[in-house]
Amino acid sequence: MVTAPVELERPDADEVTAQETPWVTVVWNDPVNLMSYVTYVFQTYFGYAKKKAERLMLDVHEKGKAAVSSGSREEMERDVEAMHSYGLWATMQKAGD
Amino acid sequence: MSALFHVVETELLASLVGQLLELVRDHPTDSEHRDDPLAAVLGGVGVDDPGRPSDPVLLRLFPDAYRDDDEAASDFRRFTERGLREKKAAFAATVLASLATADQAGEAYRDEQQREKVKIHLDSNEAEAWLRTLTDLRLALGTRLGVEEGDEDHWEALADDDPRRHVHDVYQWLGFVQETLVRALGS
Repeated sequence: MVTAPVELERPDADEVTAQETPWVTVVWNDPVNLMSYVTYVFQTYFGYAKKKAERLMLDVHEKGKAAVSSGSREEMERDVEAMHSYGLWATMQKAGD
Repeated sequence: MSALFHVVETELLASLVGQLLELVRDHPTDSEHRDDPLAAVLGGVGVDDPGRPSDPVLLRLFPDAYRDDDEAASDFRRFTERGLREKKAAFAATVLASLATADQAGEAYRDEQQREKVKIHLDSNEAEAWLRTLTDLRLALGTRLGVEEGDEDHWEALADDDPRRHVHDVYQWLGFVQETLVRALGS
């Protein structure tokens, strides 16, 4: 058997970084939504335990915003869309931005 | 679960939810009314398509997904806004249907006072629809009123005959209803 030499395509350094950089979903504080409701959304949609959901809700409330999930860009777009369907104000960005 | 309302409250809810439904339904610029400036004005929305809504209420219901990237935000909007509108419209329609069914419940009572009460039974789907729709209503009213964190004093100070006071009272009442519902769902 003869195997032909295979030319490996080395990924662009920038490409690799872009693929590996996680994205995060950020929920912003707003003057309308009830704290109890925001906590409920974090528990229901993300499946977070009540304590964690409350912690995140308080971060949003006290700090003005909180990163509530992380993952690929596609995953974060789904999460942001879901947050908007619940009436929360959310955006997404590259982690560390 | 079930909820007890006064008939005045259910009529108010039906009116508000009906208005919300009209607001979130696909707006004129997506249809053949695109060139009709009157339709655009009646729709209460900007003529952008599918750009950022110029109506602050619609912008709050369908916010930008990216803070510093208009192009990405525009792409995201193009892919998701229609689906979000349909979802919100469906929830609002479910609420209206549950209110319509409940309307008949009070007629069985002989007592004048009892007849003014309306009992609404909600299954889990209906409860979810109520929760989402109450949120959207509060976002709409809150945005129109310009509510801000910790602004209770401002509203308290309004004259009794100031029409905004009444709207704010409704806004607060909706918050109370939603709080009750969240607690019932959490237990």
